[in-house]
Amino acid sequence: MTLLQVTALSKDFAGLHALEGVSFSAEPGKILGIIGPNGAGKTTLFNVISGIYPPTAGQILFQGKNILRMKPHRISHLGIGRTFQIVRPLNNLDVETNVLVAYGHRIYPSLLKSLRACRPPEALQEVRSLVERTGLKAYSKTLARNLPLGFKKRLEIARALALEPKLLLLDEPSGGLRFEESFQLMELIRVLRDQGIGILLIEHNMQVVMDLCERIVVLDHGSKIAEGAPREIRSNPRVIEAYLGREAEHA
Amino acid sequence: MSGYVVTILITITIYAMLAHSLNIITGHAGQISLGHAAFFGIGAYTAALFYTKAGLPFWLDVPLAALVAGVVGAVLGIPCLRVRDDFLAITTMGIGFVVEAVFLYIPFFGGAMGIGGIDLPMWGGREMTKSAYLVLILIVLAALYVLDYILGRSWIGLAWSSIREDEQAASALGVDIVRFKVMAFVLGSALAGLAGAFYAHFLTFIMPYNFGFGQSIMVLCMVVFGGIGTRWGPLVGAVLLGLLPEISRPIMEYRTLVYGLLLVGMMRFQPSGLLGADSILVVSFSRGLKRLRGGEAKP
Amino acid sequence: MIWQQLANGIAVGSVYALISLGLTMVYGILRILHVAHAGIYTLGAYVGLLSFRLVDNFWLSLVAGMVGAAVAGYLVERFLYTPILHLTRIAPLIASIGLFTAMEEAFRIVAGPHTLVYNARVGLGDLSIGSFRLTETQVLILLVSFLILLFLWLFLTRSKMGLAMRACALDLETASSFGVNVSAVIAMNFIIGSLMAGAAGVLIGVYDNQVWPTMGSIPAYKALAIVVLGGLGSIPGTVLASIVVGLSETFFIGVLSVPFPRDAVAFMAMILVLMFRPYGLLGKA
Repeated sequence: MTLLQVTALSKDFAGLHALEGVSFSAEPGKILGIIGPNGAGKTTLFNVISGIYPPTAGQILFQGKNILRMKPHRISHLGIGRTFQIVRPLNNLDVETNVLVAYGHRIYPSLLKSLRACRPPEALQEVRSLVERTGLKAYSKTLARNLPLGFKKRLEIARALALEPKLLLLDEPSGGLRFEESFQLMELIRVLRDQGIGILLIEHNMQVVMDLCERIVVLDHGSKIAEGAPREIRSNPRVIEAYLGREAEHA
Repeated sequence: MSGYVVTILITITIYAMLAHSLNIITGHAGQISLGHAAFFGIGAYTAALFYTKAGLPFWLDVPLAALVAGVVGAVLGIPCLRVRDDFLAITTMGIGFVVEAVFLYIPFFGGAMGIGGIDLPMWGGREMTKSAYLVLILIVLAALYVLDYILGRSWIGLAWSSIREDEQAASALGVDIVRFKVMAFVLGSALAGLAGAFYAHFLTFIMPYNFGFGQSIMVLCMVVFGGIGTRWGPLVGAVLLGLLPEISRPIMEYRTLVYGLLLVGMMRFQPSGLLGADSILVVSFSRGLKRLRGGEAKP
Repeated sequence: MIWQQLANGIAVGSVYALISLGLTMVYGILRILHVAHAGIYTLGAYVGLLSFRLVDNFWLSLVAGMVGAAVAGYLVERFLYTPILHLTRIAPLIASIGLFTAMEEAFRIVAGPHTLVYNARVGLGDLSIGSFRLTETQVLILLVSFLILLFLWLFLTRSKMGLAMRACALDLETASSFGVNVSAVIAMNFIIGSLMAGAAGVLIGVYDNQVWPTMGSIPAYKALAIVVLGGLGSIPGTVLASIVVGLSETFFIGVLSVPFPRDAVAFMAMILVLMFRPYGLLGKA
């Protein structure tokens, strides 16, 4: 079964067509790149999939289940984790607690269970292992707002992982990072992919995209203009045109 | 203890309960409520009506008052908490005005004259003394702190702090923000209603103007002054702001002005309140402590 | 008959616009609900009245009220809001409510709790065409509001500062990265908003012939309802909503004699519109 099936997805914002008839699918254990010039609709795509706003038209099937109009927390519960382009740490909570919040997703639906103390050994063990896997061990008691940017990005991923996701939506994880930090982060993403998690990756860093992704979807002005293996995309004239602007029109 | 002192203490204890209940909504769950006195009033009027019109004893009408206040909180909260923060502020303000108007204009609630004839509870065949009443409500207040401790350690408390920090991020992390916001709102409203019931039986008569916007501001002030979101802040705020007008006549005259200026001053200079993490008090206290322990202040 | 009510409604609506625009402009740029704005409105009325008592001239008192309000608005922005913007979202709101409360009390203490009379006259006399009649004060309201709103429109669309203000309202970060002096823009929003609120205070003071400490209470929440109705941060939305509320109040109460508290109309309209358009008439997500 396809992990994620997006069909003819459209999203209008008071006349602005942010997404128009976008279709694609994602598989477990594979990284699908989502690229396109600024304003192409990439983050909007993630926002629609993760339930932040409903689409104007189209369908989204996650593991065969229709997730349209589901609230974000329900979608997270089903197994879709996401990171934000501009990081959103829970600032005044420490790293461990940040991850614990996400871990709690399995407890929150039950009122009775939610009354229990929130740091039992099983939870802490799981949370600490996640913190370690994402390289945050040294910062586990640091307040999120005091983390350097690279580690805030890792925290985004650690939290998403606490949701036991089958699909990860990563929105420009390497944005603002230095080359080395970016490299390390990509290693982490590769490891996650090898563990069988399906990944949608929005990235501006073309090197990263070409290296990591098995397939790439290209968006421009809300529509999908190309899809294929990195090699095909790299030499696709429509893609190049979208990035460089339509020279003919300005002549 | 003189009757006057007991009266003051009872008033402060009730305010502490009220401030604590607002702290659950505003401090723990991070939702602004500018109409909290409405639930204080709903509790007071419910207890008063059940007592005077239905003849129910204190021991029944008080829990009923909390229940009714909680239910109203749920009914009003569910649609209101779906909207953005800013809208919530306006909406809760509106709720405050509407509820006060209901008490004032609908004859069933006694109009401007309010409701009278609400007595102190019976215990062992006789009416309780004020001192005994004080002990009773202090016990209830203590129980509320135990509850606060349990909630603070629980997953609910964790969910609330995530909502307080960043709602949308919390939602993406699996927290049902509407559900938890409503939970805080309902609990806060119910406890405010409880305080209102105790207030009614203590004052023995209640009027609409006890429960208007001015009261909502006063409670907010207590919470802010003591420290929003801290466990003991509301108590400190209630004690200090409750005592102040009693100690100083001029301040009693101008208390609304004082409350307003206090809110402004606190937000500008000590936003985390007296007991908040960044307050002058806390910082100098912990520095003093370090000095005591280490023998010398570390650079 | 209908023209009369229309004129009445528009007069009321235009004053509402003068008050509410300040709120929406501040929200548009700082995302703060500037509740204390109603206090500035009241301040404008008192300053105007004071000036009128001194110089016995409506126009001068109007200018004085506007300037007094503008100064107050600027001080509030500079010394209260801007320093606490980095705190939690509710901090500026709480500060604003505290300030409003304190201001009303201050007016009561300084000027006394009773209503004061503001009977300014310009000598125009009333306007009568058959059974259609506009009192002198209504003419003044329509005239002054129209001029102010015209100036505002010209300013926002034709001047450099106006353009900067609109850019900042759209996206503060981007505007700042284009070199816009954000701090000056913020101050300008408050100054202009307060100028208009001060004018509204004087106009209402003269129209009702009354100035009293809590005259800002009802406008405080009515303006909030109007601003939400029109779409938080949308200037055209606020103007539209103000006229809608002004006309609704006049028609429902004046014409249809619906037994409904006049001041609740704004809230009802807000709730009704929010059900179908959750961001207000002209608001955006």
